[in-house]
Amino acid sequence: MTLVANPSFRATRPGQGSVLAELDDSRVVQAFLDGQSRAFDELVARYQARLLNFIYRTIGDRERAEDLVQEVFIRIYRHLHRFDQTKKFSTWAYTIASNLAKNELRNRSRNPLVLFQAIRKNWEADHRPLQFEDSSSRPDDMFRKRHLRALVEQSVERLPEHHRVVFVLRELEGKTYEEIAEITGCNLGTVKSRLNRARNSFASIIAPHLD
Amino acid sequence: MDCCEFREKYSDFADGLLEDEAELRARRHLSLCTSCRHFDAAFRTGIGALRNLPSVEVSGSFGAGLRRRIGHELMVRGLAVDPLWGAIAALLVMVSVGFVTWDLAEPRGARHTVPAVASTVLRPAVRLPRAPRIRFDTVQIFGGGFHPFDPVLLVADTSPSLDADPPRFDVPAIWGGR
Repeated sequence: MTLVANPSFRATRPGQGSVLAELDDSRVVQAFLDGQSRAFDELVARYQARLLNFIYRTIGDRERAEDLVQEVFIRIYRHLHRFDQTKKFSTWAYTIASNLAKNELRNRSRNPLVLFQAIRKNWEADHRPLQFEDSSSRPDDMFRKRHLRALVEQSVERLPEHHRVVFVLRELEGKTYEEIAEITGCNLGTVKSRLNRARNSFASIIAPHLD
Repeated sequence: MDCCEFREKYSDFADGLLEDEAELRARRHLSLCTSCRHFDAAFRTGIGALRNLPSVEVSGSFGAGLRRRIGHELMVRGLAVDPLWGAIAALLVMVSVGFVTWDLAEPRGARHTVPAVASTVLRPAVRLPRAPRIRFDTVQIFGGGFHPFDPVLLVADTSPSLDADPPRFDVPAIWGGR
């Protein structure tokens, strides 16, 4: 398989790239299985940012999230020939990403050194000066926005692992309950219960800090 | 509806999934309960802020890193599925194992000599000037016992005593060691 040199994984030949870009996921998958190597590049281009945001918001570590996104695509590459094409490709990709994110969180909770390094990295990121802040906003508004941003991020990180995954999939990725059930391998009732608890926890953490 | 029931049904309420009657009761409770009203406002404010967080993009090295890993994946897959390479690898392993086994079974410093009958046959008919015979032996540099992978020094031994021996076609055991 030849990969394009373009680091953003977009096809460089306009003709083929634009054709692939217009196809839905299942057809792009089929094109790859039929031997069109650039079809895999199209899948990467479509999902790299989405999966990165999902994993990053779940585990809280941007660098590690990028490693895990690469791992997702490696597994997709390895097993695409066995993928059941009657199912949604998006759900499958998120399932792999969700499992990797959960494993990462579990490993962190078992390894204090890894947890410490993640906390330290996030502390440094939080205390770095913000770039591209809106200079027309009043300073106290900017402070409030920045404070709220940090608050919501911390609130998500304080959610228990299995609540956090469901919460991020619903609130940030916009997945339906059925999709979340499929991605997490839980039944619908469990998804609703976890989401409700996550929302309650999230609001309870934030509420004391708001006027 | 009380606060406990409101919190239990909150997720469905936030998603607009409650039945009409339950929705009405929830809204009535909200209008009367300051605490739950504050809770609801905090949730909506927080979710709004969460959805407005900047998206992260992949770094510039993401594509190159992924290409490298997929290249490695292809290489590993190529070695695994090519039967010719697999057979060659298996043969090399068998030869290596056989060699090590044979070597370990040999007594140390063994010299292999050609039987007398064969040496008679092989003796040249014309007596040629005797060339100095050089025996190579191994000197172990370090290590408690000889091992095929221990570093060894090949030492040339041209002692005259060799010339005094009756002509033999010796095949020195260069791997014999001491």
